[in-house]
This record gives sequence, C-alpha cells and structure tokens, in this order.
Amino acid sequence: MPSTSSALTPGLASFLKSLKTNAIDTSIENLISLLKRRQIRHSRSCATATAYLLLRVISACRTSDSAKLIERVQSVGRRLVAAQPREMVVGNIVRRVLGLIRDEAEDDREAEYALSEAGSESQPHTPRAFDDPSLPLDRDALSVRPEGSERAARSPLTSMFSLLSHPEPEASLPSTPGSLSPSGRLPGHGPAKDVRAEVLEGIGEIIDELGQVDDQIAAYALDHIHSNEIILTHTSSTTVQKFLLKAAAKRKFTVIHAESYPNNHETTHITVSGNASKDDEILSTESFQKPLIDLGITVILIPDSAVFALMSRVNKVILGTHSVLANGGLVAAAGTRVIARAAKVHQTPMVVVSGVYKLSPVYPFDFDSLIEYGDAGKVLPYEDGDLVDQIDVQNPLYDYVPAELVDLYITNLGGHAPSYLYRIVSDHYRKEDISF
Amino acid sequence: MGVKQKAAAKPKGNAAEEVEETLQAVVLADTFETRFEPFTLDKPRCLLPLANTPLIEYTLEFLANAGVEEIFLYGGAHSDQLEKYINASKWRAPSSPFKQLNFLKSTSTSVGDVMRDLDGKHLITGDFILVSGDVISNLPIESALAKHRARREADKNAIMTMVLREAGRNHRTKSSSISPVFVIDPTKDRCIHYEEIDHHVEEHPARLNIDSEIILSHAELDIRQDLIDCSIDICTPDVLSLWSDSFDYQTPRKHFLFGVLKDYELNGKTLHTHIIKDNYAARVRSLKAYDAVSKDIISRWTYPLCPDTNLLPGHQYDLRKGSLYQEPGVTLARSCVIGRRTVIGQGISIGDRTTVHSTVLGRNCKIGRNVKLEGAYIWDDVVIGDGSDVRGAIIADGVVVGKDCRIASGALLSYGVKLADGVTVEGGMRITKSRRDGTAAPSDSAVVGEGGEGYEFVPGDEDDEDEDDASDASSGLVYRMPNLSLSSASISTLSSDVSDGSWPRSGGSSVSGDEEEDHFQQDASTSVYDSLRDGVTVDVVQLELVSLRMAANASDNQVRRAVVSAFMKHIQQLMEGGKGAGDAVHEVFSKYRDVIDRTLFDRNKDDKPDQVDLLLVLQQDLVHRLKGDTVLLFAAKELYEIELVDEEAYDQWWHDERSSGSDEMRSVRTQTQQFVDWLANAEEESSEDDESDDE
Repeated sequence: MPSTSSALTPGLASFLKSLKTNAIDTSIENLISLLKRRQIRHSRSCATATAYLLLRVISACRTSDSAKLIERVQSVGRRLVAAQPREMVVGNIVRRVLGLIRDEAEDDREAEYALSEAGSESQPHTPRAFDDPSLPLDRDALSVRPEGSERAARSPLTSMFSLLSHPEPEASLPSTPGSLSPSGRLPGHGPAKDVRAEVLEGIGEIIDELGQVDDQIAAYALDHIHSNEIILTHTSSTTVQKFLLKAAAKRKFTVIHAESYPNNHETTHITVSGNASKDDEILSTESFQKPLIDLGITVILIPDSAVFALMSRVNKVILGTHSVLANGGLVAAAGTRVIARAAKVHQTPMVVVSGVYKLSPVYPFDFDSLIEYGDAGKVLPYEDGDLVDQIDVQNPLYDYVPAELVDLYITNLGGHAPSYLYRIVSDHYRKEDISF
Repeated sequence: MGVKQKAAAKPKGNAAEEVEETLQAVVLADTFETRFEPFTLDKPRCLLPLANTPLIEYTLEFLANAGVEEIFLYGGAHSDQLEKYINASKWRAPSSPFKQLNFLKSTSTSVGDVMRDLDGKHLITGDFILVSGDVISNLPIESALAKHRARREADKNAIMTMVLREAGRNHRTKSSSISPVFVIDPTKDRCIHYEEIDHHVEEHPARLNIDSEIILSHAELDIRQDLIDCSIDICTPDVLSLWSDSFDYQTPRKHFLFGVLKDYELNGKTLHTHIIKDNYAARVRSLKAYDAVSKDIISRWTYPLCPDTNLLPGHQYDLRKGSLYQEPGVTLARSCVIGRRTVIGQGISIGDRTTVHSTVLGRNCKIGRNVKLEGAYIWDDVVIGDGSDVRGAIIADGVVVGKDCRIASGALLSYGVKLADGVTVEGGMRITKSRRDGTAAPSDSAVVGEGGEGYEFVPGDEDDEDEDDASDASSGLVYRMPNLSLSSASISTLSSDVSDGSWPRSGGSSVSGDEEEDHFQQDASTSVYDSLRDGVTVDVVQLELVSLRMAANASDNQVRRAVVSAFMKHIQQLMEGGKGAGDAVHEVFSKYRDVIDRTLFDRNKDDKPDQVDLLLVLQQDLVHRLKGDTVLLFAAKELYEIELVDEEAYDQWWHDERSSGSDEMRSVRTQTQQFVDWLANAEEESSEDDESDDE
C-alpha cells in the first residue's frame, strides 16, 4: 500500500528516494517544485529534504576548495529559499551547512598556519601526517556529545580568531612550502579534500539531529510538567506530542487541546484520538505512537473559540511552532497568537517547544511577509457561489507571536528565555551567512 | 473506502503490475471552439495568460501534482507556437516530473478526432487521465484514481470516472446558459443519464428526458445540476475504442457521454462520477470563466496555484496585504492608488493619481496619469495613455491605448491594436488586427480613431450554439460571448463536400437514409485511410471495407467515394511529406490496386458506368484538394497503367456532362487533357493495329 501511494504522489519520501538516482540539478529542481507546490510542507520535512539535498550537492562537488563549496551551497540555497521564502528552516539548514564549511576551512588553515609558523620549512609532509589522523579523531570525540553545547563553547573562539587572522593565513598560504617544493601540492590539496569529508560528516550530524530533536526536547518534559497540572496546547505537533507523552509516562495531568480549525483540525483530531490513517506516509513514525489517552491522561478537545474561557483554569500553555525568529518572536499555526494573548491576560506561563533547527537568524522587520495565506476554501465553502462572488476570504496559515508573549523556549539544548535566543543564533550561524 | 477496497482487491489481482504502471495523461491543448476569439487568432488558447501565467502551466502543474509521468499533448490551432513554448519550458528540462512529454500533431477538428487518432496510434497502455489544456485544479487525484481502479478491478466495464466539483446553484465559474445535468446512482457513483439544458431556448421550458426504465430499475437516483464539470476524466483504454466505434461523436460530453450512456444496453459500459467537495477544480471554458477563475486564483481558492507560487521560472510575485501580488521592479507614482485583488508584474510604471482595482497587469506595461483601471485584464507591454478609463476589459499584448480613451466592460482588444486619443470602445466590442485567415486587415478608423490600428471583429455566424451570451447580465462582467462553434468538418472532407454537391443519390432519399450513408462513408473512409497510413496489407483493408459495406448496406458508388476519399487524403499527406505527386500516386495505387479493383464490376462490358463513376468521384474529390489537377493527371495515368480503367471509360468520362458541369470541375481536369488526347491517339493507333492484324 505505501509503495503505491508514494509512487503516485510526489512528496518527501519520493524525493528522498529519487535523490539517489537523479542527477544533482534534477534533484534541486525537483525540490524547488515540491516546495512551490507545497508537497513538502512541515518544518521538519523541509529541513530533512534540504539537508539531504545539500549532502548530495557537496558530495557531487568535485572541487575541494572551500570557497568554491561555499559558493555552490550559497547558489543552491538561494534558489531553495526563493522557492518558498516562508519555510525558514530551509534557509536555516543552508546557513548551518555554510557555517560548517567555513569552520572546517578555518580550522585547517589555522592548523596549517600554526604548523608552518612553528614547524620547519624543510618537511612539508610531517604536518600532514600529524594533522590527518588527529582531526577526525577529534571530531569523533566531539560528535558523541550533544553538538550544540560543543559549538557554543567553540564557535565564538573561532570567530574571534577569524576576525583577526582571516586575511593573514590567506596571504601566507601561497608563500608556504606548497608553492616552493614540488611535493607542496600535497599539503595544498590534502586539507581541502579533508574539508569536504568533514562537511559531509557535519551534515550527517545535522540529519541525525533532525531525527533526535524531539526526543532530546522530550527529555526536559519532567522538569516542566508536574502532577495534576492542566496543560493547554494547540494544533498537532510531533514535538509537543512527544513532550507530553514523556511526562505522561510518570505523571498524571490534564491536556486541553485546541483543534486549530480550519487548516489543521483533522490532524489534530487524529492526534487526540489516535486513529492515524495509514496512508499518511510522511508521519508514519507518529502513527506508531499511542495517543495520550491510552496512558490514562484526560485529553479535552476544544474549539479555538473556547480558549479564552478556559485559560483561567490552565496552568501552562505548551505550544509547537513553525519557526522561531532571532528576536524571540515566533511564527506558528494560526490561532497561536490568540492563545498567547489569552495566556498573557491570565498570567499563564507560555512555553514553546522547538528544535534548534527552527531557530532562524532572520529579524522580522515585516511580519506580514512571513505569514503564508492558504486556501480560502477552507474557511468558506466554495459551493456558496453568492458569497464567493462578493467576499474576500483570507486564510492565514500562520500567526506571528511577539517575543513578549512567550515566557520560555525549550529547545534540544535546554530552556531559554526569549531574550537569550540571539545568543543561540550567534552560536549556530555565522554572521556572514545571515544574508547569504 | 477506496483505499480499503483496493487493498482488498490487490492480493488476488496482479499487485506488482499495478505498482509499476505509469500514469499517463492526455492533454487536449485545443478544444476546437472559438470562444476566445479574437485572441486565438494569434495565439493558441492554452498560452493565453491567466493571472500572468499561461493556462497550460496550470494544467501541467495539476498533472505533476497528481504524479503523472507520461503526457501526450495534442495541439490544435497554432500548434507550432505551443510546441515551441513547451520545448523551452521547464517541463522539457531533465528535472521535469514527467518522464515523457510527447507533443502530438494532428489535423483533427474535434475532440472526437483526437481520440480516434490516439486510438490509432496505440500509445495508451493503461489507465489515463484526460484533461483539456485549460484545467485549473489543486485536487489530489489519488482518491479518485484509487476508486476508479477498484471499480475496474471489480468490473471490467467500468471504463471512466469523471471528476466533478460540487458548487451551489449560482456560481461564477459555472456556465450560466447551458447547464449539464447528471443523473447519478449514488450507491454506485454511476452516471446513468446526462443531458445539457439550454436555458436560452424560450419555446419550451427546460426539460429533462429520463427513460422510465432508469427510474424503475434504480432504487435511488440523484439528479444534479449543481456540479461544475471540470472535464478531468480518468479513462481506461476502452474509452478510446468506444470513440473509435462511433464516428459521429465529436465532443466529450454532449456526444460521447450522452451516447455511451444511451447505448448502455448495447455496449454494457458504465461511466462513473467522483464528486469532490473540498478542492478547487475548474475549466477556463469561456471568457466569463476566464474572469471567474482569475478572481479565484487571486483570492487564493486555488492555493497553492497562486501568483506568489511563481509557477514560471523568473516570476517573483510576492503577496502583500489585500491580495495584492507584486513583482520587484515596479514603478509606482506616489499618488497612485493600488486597490485590492491586483496583480502587478515586473517593469510596470503607473502614473500619478491613477487608481487600480481588481486588475491583472502583465509585465512592462506603462500606465499614464489619472487612469482608472477596474476589473481589467491587461497583458504584457500595454501602454495606456493619460486619463483613460478601462473597466472589465481584456487587453492583449502590445496594445496602445491613447489618451482619454474609454473602454467599457466586456471589450476585447487583441494583439497589437492601437487606439487613437479620445476613442470610446463600447462594451462587448472586439477589436483586432488579424483576420481569421491570418492576413492583416485594414484599419477601421471609425472604430480605433485616426491613426489607430485594428478593426472590429465580428464573431462567427454560428449563432445557433451560442453559450453564455449577453443575457447573463447579472454577473459582474458582461462579455458578449463568442459562439461555441464546433467545426462541423470531419475527418472525411469528401463526405460532406460531395453530399453537398449535386450528386445523384443512389440510396433512399429519406433523412435517415442520408445519415446512414454519411456514416458509412465516414466510417469507411476513415478506416481505409488509417489502414493506408499504417501500411496494412490489401487483404485486411478489403476485409474491413466489405464488412463495413455489409453492415451499412452501402451502394457501390458510396464505396468508391469512401475509397477515393481515403486514397486522396493519404496521397495528399504523402505529398506534404515531400513526395512528388507522381511518386505518391504510384505508391498508393500500385500497392492497393485490388481495393479499387473490387469496386469495379464492368470490366467486360462495353458501357463502363463504374469506371466512369470512379473517375468522376476522383475528379470531384480533387476539386477541393491542393494541386488537385496534377494529382488527377497522375491518377488517371496510373489507373490506366495498372489496367483498372479502360480507354473507353476515359472517353466516356471525358464526354460525360457531369465531369464538365462546373468551373471547378473543368479547371481541375485541364491538366488531364493531354493524357486524354494521348490516349485517344494511342487508341486509334491500336485499333489500326488491330485491324491490320485482322487482315
């Protein structure tokens, strides 16, 4: 059954399958049209597709010069972002990959620079021999740890360093033994080739991160959900669902679930009742999940309009999001802002769970441009000819929620105040890539 | 439901095959109607921009969405332009979602011809989607497809599923004058009866004729008039053979659907419906629908097929507040007012105090000062002078409108028209530069003013099948609708031409008899023609011809006419393919000599009525063909050389008054004069020889 449906309708699954066989340009065009046609639409699907595509792009790139790699990734990234500028995770992943390449390139230069300073000029081979095994070894050790914390510690240092040393090694590179001795081709060539392998490995880590992020976030659940609390949530989000499930394993609480009509109520109903239809191949991992009610949690499904009335009884609002912006504001499913306002009025803590990959360095100067407008037919039935003729129907898919309405962000790195997000942004993205 | 059925049906069925089956689609890029004249005089209809994107893009996008892998695109008028466009488009790039995109050219003049042509080509291997090149839909087709397959699995006779969109009683995308009525058995989703009700016929109120048997034999019936027929059909290959069986079917609904349903007892095929309630599906079937669908696209009913999806590479539309789509690179004067539901393309400049509302503006337009645009569709490179007022009109590429012009609702300005200053264009007027035959027409200064270019185009005179005409004044835009003029020319041009001529009829003269004759001739001529084209052997052609003749009880004369028509058509085609007339004639006649031989029964008589008849038919047919005179000469010579026609017959033919009855007939045989003269001389000589032998 799934094989037929995936063969029929293009989507993430068919894209990933075709990625292996198709030529690289075909795959890029393919993803662009999938994004345009909204056949890949959730944040995670977009992020996964982008990451796999960039993996292919870089492994297909025969040049091992980091500058060229950056250029290539930038050009692909620009096209992807232009295809669907409102899926900000696409840009985020591209920036992460660009950052990876720059880091690796600088690490190598740094190492080489340091060596050529310290080491004697007569033996260009030894630094390679020393450098080659040590670097992957170092990386392996690092990759075991949650990579965010490691980056947090490392990246300011490298960026500070690059600020000062950036022009210098570049100037000194040609004058190093490379250009003098005939064997010098090796050190010139060797590290660059290394860069590519390192970057591929780094993208692999990003993909792993995308797979694990929900479980990592869920690990913080017990710190935030206490017994006998009443939790309000909205729309269907795997992240929130896993978060609640984790807590439900240990504690008893009540969940009030707003259905987010008209764009997502059907999925919400499925999430609540657990009757996941089998033909939804993208969310197939979720369909294995038991719904909260099976764990003895009381789940109350309410229409969105009842949110304000119930807010006074709610202890905590836990929401998923579409993307998070650098100022701490967020773009989430329509209806989120109403909930956030209601929570503010009732002084109910509002917690947003989100993977770091959704965190975008974009500053929202123009909120309207971030919001996507969907099918008007979901609001007003198209059959109603007389109304359709005379009424302008707008169906925003997302809401912008300003930072001051959010109390806490929980990412896979832990909990942060909205005002701290700029820090995570600067840890994860290089300044030069923010507008690539 | 459908999914489950399918899952249940699969284990016993051939599961592996079904998975591998590639989904094919047939796109009818031309619908053989003239509703978009005068624009379609210059461009194929499916390249007309709808919200600045050519219509065909939406259709192909829909098919890509549905996961179609092979597409057969049938071009009609201006198919060279369409082919050029498609070849340059992203659909031909290696990244195209379609594994194959075949552009088929045909000389068809109706949908029926296309379907029969397709059947003859044997390209369709499995289920396919049949859409016309003006469908806009965001419908995921898989549920309809799954249901169709499940039905087909259960019953081989379920051959087609029509996708219909539910809509209320009054809807802007529905056609307002002719409404299709579907009688459906809701328990099986089966369409039982179909009829089109014309609201304009005043004499008798709308009436539906349902066979009493239908009512008696079905427990439950839905009679629905609220459906938008978006002409998305999921068909099995059997559909094509049904088309082939019935040569008089031309339109997919009025003829095919109606006919197949009526003949249910005969063929046992069932047609089904899939009624959708959620997604968007519509056809741009007329200018009124053009207006309605444009509005739907702009107000995002068709999401994600909206301007800001930027279907075409290079488009950069961006959605602003109030359904305003704008590309970068637009120059707006500070005091101009851009209202809601507007699309503004790149390179546009809009002058001071101009107001724009509910308007689509293509690229590189120059709009002057104090201009009022409301509900207008303005394509690329249009210049509109200061102080003009345009409401609800369509203005095509490159039009120049002078200062202080007034263009009323429903006016159509075709490509390159120039209006002088101060001209007023009445509502519903069509102004164009080119004529039907493609030549430039002299300008009519009464219409376009001094120094303007263009003349008023009067739509075709087929008023009888007028659809969506001016009587629906209630809809915002009033278009004086172009007429639905289905070309009546069919594949056998001879049949209609000849029967129009003063040909002595050998069969009964009753109306039904005439019809039957026409059918036979069409059938036979098409069948023979197809066989010639495919290079089938003589025996097979003969067999088919005989069976057709038996079935229709056709006279010899009819058989000859059919055969000659087919032969000539094939020869014509060979000549178009670069062959010389002599070679073509020789090739066809020598190969299929027997076919003609079997139509002649006067070999051993002195009087040669059959052979004379053959030559007359030949002559008659060639009157209307290109280089008819040359072909006639060669054909006459060839017939003589392969000993089909005797000298006497030539003589009798030449002196028959029917052969020189009209100027046309005379002119076509002028070249043959030399052959007849030569023949006469030879005859004398040979008779002399005979005499000498006797002595």
